[in-house]
Amino acid sequence: MKNLNVLLLTCILFPIFAWADPVDSCGSEYECIEIGRWDIGLALGYGSRSNPLKDYEDIPIYLAPTFAYYGDNWHFDNGNFGYTLVEDEKYTINLTTSFSNDSAFFRRWDPSNVFLTNNNDLDLKSFSIRTQPTVIEEDQGVPTPDELETRHFTYLGGVEAYIYTRIGILNLSLAHDLLNVHRGTEAKLKWLYNHSIEEWKFELALVLDWKSEEVVDYYYGIRPSESAYWSENFQAGSAINTGIELTSHYVLTEHWELLFLARYTQLADEIVASPLLNEDHTSTFFVGTAYRF
Amino acid sequence: MLSLVSALAAAEEELDLGAILTLSTEFCITSADENVCQLTLVLEWENEFIRPICILSDYKEMAKWCAESAETHSLTLSISTTDDIHFVMIDKETHQTLAGVKLKVTPAAEPKVRRRYRNPWSLF
Repeated sequence: MKNLNVLLLTCILFPIFAWADPVDSCGSEYECIEIGRWDIGLALGYGSRSNPLKDYEDIPIYLAPTFAYYGDNWHFDNGNFGYTLVEDEKYTINLTTSFSNDSAFFRRWDPSNVFLTNNNDLDLKSFSIRTQPTVIEEDQGVPTPDELETRHFTYLGGVEAYIYTRIGILNLSLAHDLLNVHRGTEAKLKWLYNHSIEEWKFELALVLDWKSEEVVDYYYGIRPSESAYWSENFQAGSAINTGIELTSHYVLTEHWELLFLARYTQLADEIVASPLLNEDHTSTFFVGTAYRF
Repeated sequence: MLSLVSALAAAEEELDLGAILTLSTEFCITSADENVCQLTLVLEWENEFIRPICILSDYKEMAKWCAESAETHSLTLSISTTDDIHFVMIDKETHQTLAGVKLKVTPAAEPKVRRRYRNPWSLF
């Protein structure tokens, strides 16, 4: 795990130190949007998001929206707000909101799951049938999903920076819980590389995602009311998830495009250690068509 | 070409030689789709002193036109251009610059764009 972190960190930091010249190319090097006009789109197809939580089903994906509006300085993008403090040829600094993906694993109607359709409510109902009390020592006292207290969704607010280089975009962000749900902090280091081959457009991203102890404890820790044993035997700590993301779309017409998407996140050891998880990663894929209005 | 350049320079100095040259349209805004200005222009002039004149321009279809008589006071042109056109009126005999006027061609403003910070499909 640590080796993977070092490798990703090297890959992410290499662009800024090796090649810090700016680029200026809407569409091929980075995405651009018209100021003062809504960008709305809908993707239809099939995909799935795996759920690393024990006894929770993976989440099928049939359709997903995209909606954004950018003014001269502020913007709204897929549920998040931002205000640009500095926009330069070489870098951008924004105040921005974001939301954690962690709550999505617990809540069907989490904003991260909007428009993702689940099979049904079998997650919880089937659990009682499927998972009879076991005699496996490690499972003793692990609370069932319907015994878990609600893990709430929250907005994070903070600052982010984009540094534009010839070999990609470096994105750094630091955000804190705005709604006092877990009172934790998250930081992200992301390297994005966009490439176009005629009508094919590709975006590759490598991600290091740090979560403070408060975040890990809130979502993956066990409360005393849920299990006295595990609340004492699982001590949450700050964690760094690592991820790789590939988004590709083929432009068919002005409005239609084919969309291919894959995400893989290796969960940090500190999170995997939680008794709520039985997988050490989460992955998402989607294949479909998208219409941009 | 050199004479047109010097004539333009002189015209821009707004020499007061008792001559006025006007243009029916001085601005043309082209659409974003089609960057060409196509219109019919009417050049009109008045001279305090009766004299034959010529019109010079940097429009390639009409580099030089001379009035057949001093009684002529206008010229109608159909033009198609992507660039500004300068017209200069000169004395046909002395080649003295009398007046000048310009058709300004301005493209329609392009939609303003800026970087989009998030992947459009970041909700996945």
